[in-house]
Amino acid sequence: MAHPHTARSRTALIEAHDLRRWYGEADARVEVLRGVSLVVERGEYAAIVGASGSGKSTLLSILGCLDRPSAGSYSLAGEDVLALRDDRLSELRLREIGFVFQSFQLIPQLSVAENVEVPLFYAGVARGERRRRALAALERVGLSHRVHHLPTQLSGGEQQRSAIARALVHDPPLLLADEPTGNLDSETGRRILELIDAIHAEGRTVVLITHDRSVAEHAPRRIRIKDGTIESDERRGAAA
Amino acid sequence: MRLLEFAAIALRNLRGYALRSLLTTLGVVFGIASVVTMMALGRGAEEQILRQIDKLGITNVIVNSVKPPEDKSANAQRSWVLSYGLKFADRDQIVETVPGIDAVLPVHSYTERAWEGSSKGDVIVHGVTPEYFAATKTHVAKGRTLTEADERERRPVAVVHQQLLRSLGHYGDPIGYELLVGEQLYEVVGVLADEEFQGLMRKALKDPEHGENEVYVPYGTVLARIGTRSFSRRSGQFEATDIELNQMVVQVGRQGDVLPVAHMVRTLLERFHENRDYELVVPLELLAQRREYQRVFNIALLLIAAISLLVGGIGIANIMLATVTERTREIGIRRAIGAKRVHIMTQFLLETVLIAFAGGVLGIGTGWVGTQLMAGYTKWEAHFTPEVALSALVVACGVGILSGLFPAWRASHLDPIQALRHE
Repeated sequence: MAHPHTARSRTALIEAHDLRRWYGEADARVEVLRGVSLVVERGEYAAIVGASGSGKSTLLSILGCLDRPSAGSYSLAGEDVLALRDDRLSELRLREIGFVFQSFQLIPQLSVAENVEVPLFYAGVARGERRRRALAALERVGLSHRVHHLPTQLSGGEQQRSAIARALVHDPPLLLADEPTGNLDSETGRRILELIDAIHAEGRTVVLITHDRSVAEHAPRRIRIKDGTIESDERRGAAA
Repeated sequence: MRLLEFAAIALRNLRGYALRSLLTTLGVVFGIASVVTMMALGRGAEEQILRQIDKLGITNVIVNSVKPPEDKSANAQRSWVLSYGLKFADRDQIVETVPGIDAVLPVHSYTERAWEGSSKGDVIVHGVTPEYFAATKTHVAKGRTLTEADERERRPVAVVHQQLLRSLGHYGDPIGYELLVGEQLYEVVGVLADEEFQGLMRKALKDPEHGENEVYVPYGTVLARIGTRSFSRRSGQFEATDIELNQMVVQVGRQGDVLPVAHMVRTLLERFHENRDYELVVPLELLAQRREYQRVFNIALLLIAAISLLVGGIGIANIMLATVTERTREIGIRRAIGAKRVHIMTQFLLETVLIAFAGGVLGIGTGWVGTQLMAGYTKWEAHFTPEVALSALVVACGVGILSGLFPAWRASHLDPIQALRHE
């Protein structure tokens, strides 16, 4: 499956400089990120690894345009994120990012297909087209037989596949995955990771956050984060 | 934005919590139901009274003779004949001195007993001029009203209620029937249409005690045959009264002149009737009073409506706040995926509007049933018009928007990260 993003590889999708994030003020100030600088090229697959409390979730929130850094600069797909108003941020998320969460985050009262349609709904895609694209995305993750089920009727692996279908359905260049295997058994987790590998192979940029080194091994680039700073940033051989 | 699609989502969410949604609407249902019922009954009452006032004639000023309060100190000098009320001279004076008047219709009435074989019944005989029927919108169902010729030739003819003949035991053709009243024979030439004219307003024109036992004969005939004196048996003793005119209907040319004419007539009569043996009925004044009552009633209605809808609205807001808390995570997911604040706001606002709208529809239905029941039970008139229903719906939607604003604002301003972590 040829993918449009392949052509645009080797240009920076994520450019973060000296990101800092603190909570509280003055004496009570807790600094979670202490100056993180990071560039992720289009088509890269990077894993951000760190123990809990290392600041990796905060970093993901900022990279995902859900949170704003207290200081530093961040541009996503050439847009200066910090300068954008709230609804422009929503548009940016909708256009550029597909989210995969540890706890799947499917809307419980909607069917699998309807969950996958949600991003298209906010993108203003017409109803018939929405359903067509949702079914295609579900087929891509191997869930064609579950489209009318409710999330609670699915296994954990199936729920995460639905979430991945939802993350891909509006064709964003960046997949942000936050501990995607954290709630799954190792075998199911392995298959989810294989799916993510395949998505990366299509030319999409993937940033994956995990505390699990074996998960991080899937990624050609591994960024270790500790106490709010980048400890190491290594690429395996020639980038994939 | 595609409101219909948002509405579809809202509807689904509400269906998901069917019982809760239903209970939430109840406040609005009862609020709207009471508003609608009161509006319908209020309008019905207004219509009824307006119709009655209209029947009195909006350009008429009606003057009735009334028995003056008995003066105890004057007992010694009391004459055998009780003389009071409007005089022929009053009428002449009004005709001559008050401008803007088309005519002053005289009415002389007396009570008598009507006979049919051995059956009898009390009747009140009104001597009226031909114009009286048009002026008081009194219509015949059969036959004719009185004519100029009847008046001129003082014919012994009468217009009666069919009911009167029935109560006397005559069930045949009323036209041509010879009605015996006291010692006078009248030929029935017309039968009055059924009286829709009841209640308080009737008093202004007619004697309420006699109901439908009224007989209309030419004015000239009464004066020529009976004169102005009448005798009646009251509390065991005979009483003689001398009343020249029982009623005058002053017909004013233009509606704008009615109040000045009424004022002049009042002033004039005050001068000659110190014992206040008359009363003035001005339909236009009644109308104004009625409008004022209606205004007060409407304000009270509005207040009650506002309070009950406020309570309903608070109920909705309360439940929606709980719903927002409950669905925090969903809101977080939608925001992360790319929903703007306005999308979230719209979604929740539409839910409250739908709840309120449904409440409005149910309330209108409940109100309609309530109105029918109350109208049936009390015999009040009810006007359940489309405007009543429509305005109730508009109000219900307004309540929905107002009560949804804060919860929707809260939902749209949740922090997406916090919301996603919400358990």
